[in-house]
Amino acid sequence: MSLDVRPLTRARAASHPRPLSRLRSLPVAGPSTPARLLRLGAVLVVGCLLTAAVSLGSGLSRQSATAEGDGRVAALSVDAAELYRSLADADAMATSGYVAGGVEPAAVRARYDDDLAQAAGRLVRAAGELTAADPGRPLVATVAGQLPVYSGLIETARFYNRQGLPLGQSYLGSGSRLMRETVLPAVERLRSQQSVALADDYGRGGAIPFAVLLVCGATLAGLLDAGMRERRRTKRTVNPGLGAAAGLLVLAMLWWLTATVVTDARLDAAIRHGGATTALDDARAAVLQARSNESLVLVARSGGSASDAGFTGQLTRVLGTDGTGGLLGTAAAGAGPDGAAAIDEVRAAARRWQQAHQRVRELDDAGRYTDAVAAAIGTDPAGSRATFERLDAALAGALGTQRAALDADAGSASGALTGLAIGPMVLALLAGVAAAAGIALRVREYR
Amino acid sequence: MNGVAARRPLLYLAVGCLLALLSLLLPTSGGGRADAGATPAAAPGVAAGVPTAPPAAPCGQIRDSLRPSGPPPAPGAFPPGSTMAAIVARGRLIAGVDQGKYLAGYRNPATGDLQGSDIDLVHQIAAALLGDPAKVQFVVLDIADRAAAIERRQVDLVVDQFTVTCARQRTVEFSSAYLTAAQRILVPVSANVHEVEDLAGQRVCTSRGSTTEGVLRALPLHLNVLSLTGIPDCVVELQHGRVAAVSSDDAILAGLAAQDPQTRVVGRALDNARYAVGMSPASPDLVRFVNGVLERARADGSLAASDRRWFGALNPVPQPAAARYRD
Repeated sequence: MSLDVRPLTRARAASHPRPLSRLRSLPVAGPSTPARLLRLGAVLVVGCLLTAAVSLGSGLSRQSATAEGDGRVAALSVDAAELYRSLADADAMATSGYVAGGVEPAAVRARYDDDLAQAAGRLVRAAGELTAADPGRPLVATVAGQLPVYSGLIETARFYNRQGLPLGQSYLGSGSRLMRETVLPAVERLRSQQSVALADDYGRGGAIPFAVLLVCGATLAGLLDAGMRERRRTKRTVNPGLGAAAGLLVLAMLWWLTATVVTDARLDAAIRHGGATTALDDARAAVLQARSNESLVLVARSGGSASDAGFTGQLTRVLGTDGTGGLLGTAAAGAGPDGAAAIDEVRAAARRWQQAHQRVRELDDAGRYTDAVAAAIGTDPAGSRATFERLDAALAGALGTQRAALDADAGSASGALTGLAIGPMVLALLAGVAAAAGIALRVREYR
Repeated sequence: MNGVAARRPLLYLAVGCLLALLSLLLPTSGGGRADAGATPAAAPGVAAGVPTAPPAAPCGQIRDSLRPSGPPPAPGAFPPGSTMAAIVARGRLIAGVDQGKYLAGYRNPATGDLQGSDIDLVHQIAAALLGDPAKVQFVVLDIADRAAAIERRQVDLVVDQFTVTCARQRTVEFSSAYLTAAQRILVPVSANVHEVEDLAGQRVCTSRGSTTEGVLRALPLHLNVLSLTGIPDCVVELQHGRVAAVSSDDAILAGLAAQDPQTRVVGRALDNARYAVGMSPASPDLVRFVNGVLERARADGSLAASDRRWFGALNPVPQPAAARYRD
């Protein structure tokens, strides 16, 4: 640019013989038309450069937000949900193993061991994924600290049981209480924190890009204003450079708008599937707690603080008061038509278990305790144990489907952001070059 | 001005940048990370040591029980309309018991069955009522819930080392006492504790709603009394070193010491207790009937035999109590 203007300054200097101030000697200063043109050009080019910079920054932050939601947080919320399931399942196994009397069945013991091993693995992963400042850290520390205490209490209970001493029951009660009142609530909070963080990341990923649109729009307005004035002043057609620059900026804005709309729609789907996943996770936890409660009521023979209300309360949460809503209703709403069949299956399995449980209660309330225990933990395919296991499996299946759908949504949302950081930035830079070229063409006319 | 001017584009750009800056500074979405920080719950299973009920108004004397109307009739042969006939019609006796009191009323973890001296007595009453000692539905009650379970007619009777007190007699009609016991303390073998005075200012555990709780609080030793749902929960606390001693009746403590050889029962009797079967004041016929069963058990030695069977290792073996009646 300066190469173009140097002769012009000399020409002006010749027409004004008196010594010029330092300021006046600068090519862009002064009231002359070329200087004004240069100032205008500078403003427009700066505008384009700013647009490019803001676009690059916003695009990168948006991509990292969805990538974070996609990767770390999604994995962590799955980990927290699975951690909850493992721990609740371990406790359900420990208590139901006790109902049987004698040494617990090998299968129950194996499932308990497996649950604890899985929980430890999830815990290590969750701890590795959390940054030092993450509010989830103290929660993970609570779980990690209390888990050995829990397993110690349960092992002591087993030791006393093998001795035929009732003190084991107190240890079992202590352990189960620790799990239900301290450990599980901590995991639950960890999970809800991560769900909030995930929704937050997805919210940022699909938000309207105000900064980009404002800077780009302002530059575009400046370009249009300059272009109109030039056209009026010179009474000629549109300056091709300015026109091209405006076109390029419009393209950049359209790119951003399209990417935002598409991402937003896909993230909406992800959030819906995420809601269904959360509801199914909750339902699974509720079912496990209901199973623990069924065992505890049998062990306490309906007395003391044990009450069947714990079971009915959890099942009502899952099925809803009229049997058609509840957590499964929430899950069905988020799952959409393709997931509905799996959730209907879960609902049917839950009703079957409810009936089997009803049978256990009827037997126990009629004083047929031994029959009630057999109905609760026996191998009868219509009994409480078998129907509970089928319900748990149906829930696991529906959860797997929803998690896969969630992953797919999150992946395609990230796909819609491909090139968002680079593409519009290049367009804005090209717009800057075009605007500069357009103005330079005019300035050259003053040589 | 019809010339070239950079002013307006500059203004646009400045305003645009300013707004963009504002939009970046404002949070993009309201979803802040709520729920920060963890507040770990208190130590597991440790309830605050507050009395569960206000101290009852001073009570006069303990009432004696109702005299049996002759020896118990043959099983099933009861006058129509009597409480016993209703139980026979139901086909089973509903009894409130404990399942954590080793030797008295406890669940044998090897079989899942309830056993102990109290359970023996329940079976004996069931046999006299129904002709079959197994026709019993057990309901496991918390210590503090025993009187209430009788009041709401959840159970026909409670056999759970239930101490006769004047305050309980407001809502419970007791049978004649079948066992006498003394309140003492259980401490670790290694602890240098011989009398309750050695525990001054320390933490002592007992079951909530028991008579022992009141006795401990009344001692002028500033004991820090922790009351839990069941006495075995206190042993868990003792084994973890969170309490210095457990106090209860010797018949209960014997069961605890038998489960943990690292503990022993020490000290003088802080209080004397008489255990009886608790029933509803609304069914005096059942009370008289149970007293008849107890008379027979005292006479034929089956009561003493049951005590010897369960508490034989205890020195001295708790003795069956003599019956006293108000008629």
